[in-house]
Amino acid sequence: MANIRPFCMPKWGIEMTEGTIAEWMIGEGDAFRKGQVICLIETAKITNEVEAEYDSVLKRLLTPAGDEAYPVGALLGVFADADTPDAEVEAFIAGFKPAETSVAAKSGGSAPAPAAAAPAPVAAAPARAPKKIVTNRAISPEALKLAEAEGVDIEPIAGSGRNGRITYQDVVQALRPETAASYSGTAALVADSPEAFASPLARRIAAHHGIALAGITGTGPRGRISKADVLALVKPTTAATPVFGAPFELVANGAVIQPFDKVRKVVAKRLTEAKQTIPHFYLRMSAAVDDLIALRKTANLVLGTKASINDYIVKAVAMALVKHPDVNVQVHGDTVHKFPHADVSIAVASPKGLVTPIVRQADRMHIAQIAATTRALIDKAQAGKLGFEDMDGGTFSVSNLGMFGIENFDAIINPPQGAILAVGGLNRVAVEAENGDIAFESRISFTLSVDHRAIDGAAGAQFLQSLKGLLEGPEGLFA
Amino acid sequence: MAKMMYRDAVVSTIAEEMERDENVVCLGEDIVGGMGTPGGPEAIGGIWSTSTGLFGKFGADRVIDTPISESAIMGAAAGLALSGKRPIAELMFADFIGVSLDQIWNQLAKFRYMFGGKTKCPAVIRMAYGAGYNAAAQHSQAVHQILTGMPGLKVVMPSTPADVKGLLRTAIRDDDPVIFLEHKALYGMTGEVPDDKEYMIPFGHARLTRAGQDVTIVSTGLLLGFCEAVADKLAAEGIGCDVIDLRTTSPIDEEAILDSVEVTGRLIVVDEAPPRCSLASDICATVAEKAFAALKAPPLSVNPPHTPIPFARELESAYLPSTDKIEAAVRKVLSYR
Repeated sequence: MANIRPFCMPKWGIEMTEGTIAEWMIGEGDAFRKGQVICLIETAKITNEVEAEYDSVLKRLLTPAGDEAYPVGALLGVFADADTPDAEVEAFIAGFKPAETSVAAKSGGSAPAPAAAAPAPVAAAPARAPKKIVTNRAISPEALKLAEAEGVDIEPIAGSGRNGRITYQDVVQALRPETAASYSGTAALVADSPEAFASPLARRIAAHHGIALAGITGTGPRGRISKADVLALVKPTTAATPVFGAPFELVANGAVIQPFDKVRKVVAKRLTEAKQTIPHFYLRMSAAVDDLIALRKTANLVLGTKASINDYIVKAVAMALVKHPDVNVQVHGDTVHKFPHADVSIAVASPKGLVTPIVRQADRMHIAQIAATTRALIDKAQAGKLGFEDMDGGTFSVSNLGMFGIENFDAIINPPQGAILAVGGLNRVAVEAENGDIAFESRISFTLSVDHRAIDGAAGAQFLQSLKGLLEGPEGLFA
Repeated sequence: MAKMMYRDAVVSTIAEEMERDENVVCLGEDIVGGMGTPGGPEAIGGIWSTSTGLFGKFGADRVIDTPISESAIMGAAAGLALSGKRPIAELMFADFIGVSLDQIWNQLAKFRYMFGGKTKCPAVIRMAYGAGYNAAAQHSQAVHQILTGMPGLKVVMPSTPADVKGLLRTAIRDDDPVIFLEHKALYGMTGEVPDDKEYMIPFGHARLTRAGQDVTIVSTGLLLGFCEAVADKLAAEGIGCDVIDLRTTSPIDEEAILDSVEVTGRLIVVDEAPPRCSLASDICATVAEKAFAALKAPPLSVNPPHTPIPFARELESAYLPSTDKIEAAVRKVLSYR
C-alpha cells in the first residue's frame, strides 16, 4: 500500500499565518521514525521542532529551508512508504489541495476541500480496517483495543506475555512492516590489559582510533578510563569549522552586516509601533527595601525557596494591580479590557532576543510558586523553548535591569497592555534619619510607563503608592 | 604464563597470599582432606581439591579443618577478621548458606558499618555454586542473586582460571567481606594464568570478551562460555555480539553495560539464577531506566525456569540456559521491528 501523506505548514496559535523552514533535519529519501524531529519551523514568535507522527519516508522535499515564508497549510513535503513509485507521488502532489484552516477566509463560497489529501487517488483504501475481534486467546484489553482499531489478525501472533498472552507490544510489532534485521557485524576486540583500566567501550573506541591506553589515568571511579576520556584524546581530523547562525557580509569599512532575524524583526516592529502610537507618560518613584531584603532572607530559609527580589516585585505588582484594576488593563482600539487577575509578563533577554513570558494569576500565587514559575520560564526562554502559549496575553509587564547596575530607565509599553514597570538597581542612599542624623538605606527606583489613552495619572500614581507600600511593608506580601 | 586449571588457580593464589601475609588463614570442612587416607594430608584437599597441599605447607595453625558446622565456620571467620586475621572460609556447596546466613548477612556484612568504620572485616567466603554437574536440587543452586542483594558484601563470580587468580587475590587483600563464588562445573577448565604474584583485577570492572555492534550479552560464570559460543557462531552470519563478563555482581559494572547498549541498542542478560528478582531482571531494569533511548528492542533475560533444579540429567540440561536458548534470544531481539 502506498500510504502517501502530505506534510503541510502547521498552525501554531491563532495569529500564525505563515512560517519559514529554518532547517530540515532529514533529506529527501530519508526514512524517519515516529517522534523523530523532521524540521525546524520558525514563525514570527517562536521556532519549534516538528516531530514525526508516524514512521515513514520523506519521498519529496518541496520547500527548501531558507528565508521564504509559506502560508499555513502549504504543502512542504510528501511522506510515503519507501517503495512508492515516483509517479504516484507526482500524481499526489498534482492533486493536492491545501486544507481550509480556521484563519483562511471562511466566506470563500467554494466548498472546503475535505480533509486534505486523504481521498487522493493514490492514497488508496487504508491497509487495515477496524473490525470486531472474537477470540479465546489471552490478550490484554489495550492490545485488543488496538488490534480491533487497526484490524490486526491476532491469531498468528505468538504472545510474549505470561502463558502466551498477547501484549500491546505484540500487536504493535504485528502492525509494523516486515523488515529483515540489519546487522552491523563484529568489532575489533582489544585485549584486556591490567596496565590500562578502562571500560570496554573505551577500549573499543581507543582501538578504532589507534590510541594506546597504557599509562593513562581516567576520570572514572578509581581512575578508570571512560569513553569520554578516550574521545578527549582523539585528535580532531579537520579543523573545527565555525558555525554561523545567519549569513553576513563584510562591507568596505569592516562593518559586519547582519539582517534582522525573525524574532528581532517582530520586536522591532512591535516596539516602533508602541512608541509611536501609544501616548506614554512616566511616573517615577523609589521604595526603601531593607525590610524586604531581611524578610526575603528569612522567608527563603523558612520556605526553602530561592525567591529573588524580582519575584517579590512581581508578587507586589500583582497584588497592587488587583487593587487598582484601572491599571490592570489591555487597550484594544477604542476599548479597554479589564481583568480580574494579574497576568504579569516578565521581560527576559533570551539568545533570540527580548521575550516576555507570562506569570499567570500571579496575584493568587504564593511567593514560592512565583519563584518556581519564573525560574521555569527563564530557563525555557534561555533554551529558546518558549511556546506561543507562554507569551500570549498578559495584563502588565515588569522589566528589570537592576542586575546590570542600571539606576533607572523608561520602558516601552508592551501592547496591548496598558502599562509597564521598569525596575532599576538596588542602591544604598543617604537619607535623613528621624533624629536628624544621616542614615543609609537600600532603595530601588521604579518607572511606570503608562498608556494615557486608558490610564490617567492619578490611577498610575495610586498604583505606585500601593506598590511602594507593599514593598516597604513586605509582610503584606504574605497576607 | 602458565596453563592451569580453575581449581589450581584457587589453590595457588591462596598459597601465594598465605606466603606473603601470615595473617591469611584458611578454614572449612574437609579442607585438610584425606586425613587417614593413602597419601596422607596432601591427598585431596577439600571436596573440590581447592586446598590441596596447603596443610602440608602452612600447618594446622593456618589451615584449620572444621566439623560440619557452617554457622560456626562463618562465625569464626567473622571473629578472625575482626581480630586482625584475614580468613578464607570455605562453605563447600553454596546451597548451605541458609544455616549460616545470620553470620554472613547480619554480622559479617554489617560490622564495618555498625562499628562506624572503626574496624575492618577482611574475610573471604568461598563457595562452589551452580548446576550442570548433576548434583540435584540442594547442591546445584546459583545463590549470587541472594548475596548480591545484601549491602555490605562484595560478590565475585570468576569465569576463567586467570580471573580466579586476579579476583581472588583482590578478594583476599580487600578489607571488606567478599563472597567468592566458584562454579563447580568450571573447576576442570584449563586456561592461561599470569605468573605475576601481584596480578590483581579490581572489583566492578567487567570484561568485554567479544565485541560486536548488534547485541549486548551480559553474563557471568559458567554461562559466559555459552554466550561466547553463541557470539562466535553468529559472527559467521555477520551478527556482532558484545559479550560482557561482569566478574563481580556487587559492585556491578553498570557503566560497561550501558556503554555497550549505547552501541548495540539491544540487551540480553544470561543468568543462572531463577528469573524472579534476579540479577538479570535487575540489569534489564537498570538499562530500561538509564539507556531507554538507546534501546531498539525490549531487553530480554535468559534464566532457568522458576523451579528447583532437577536431578535427572536430561531435565537438568533442559533447566539450564543453553546455547540454543541464548541464540534464540539474540534472534528474537534482532527481529524486533
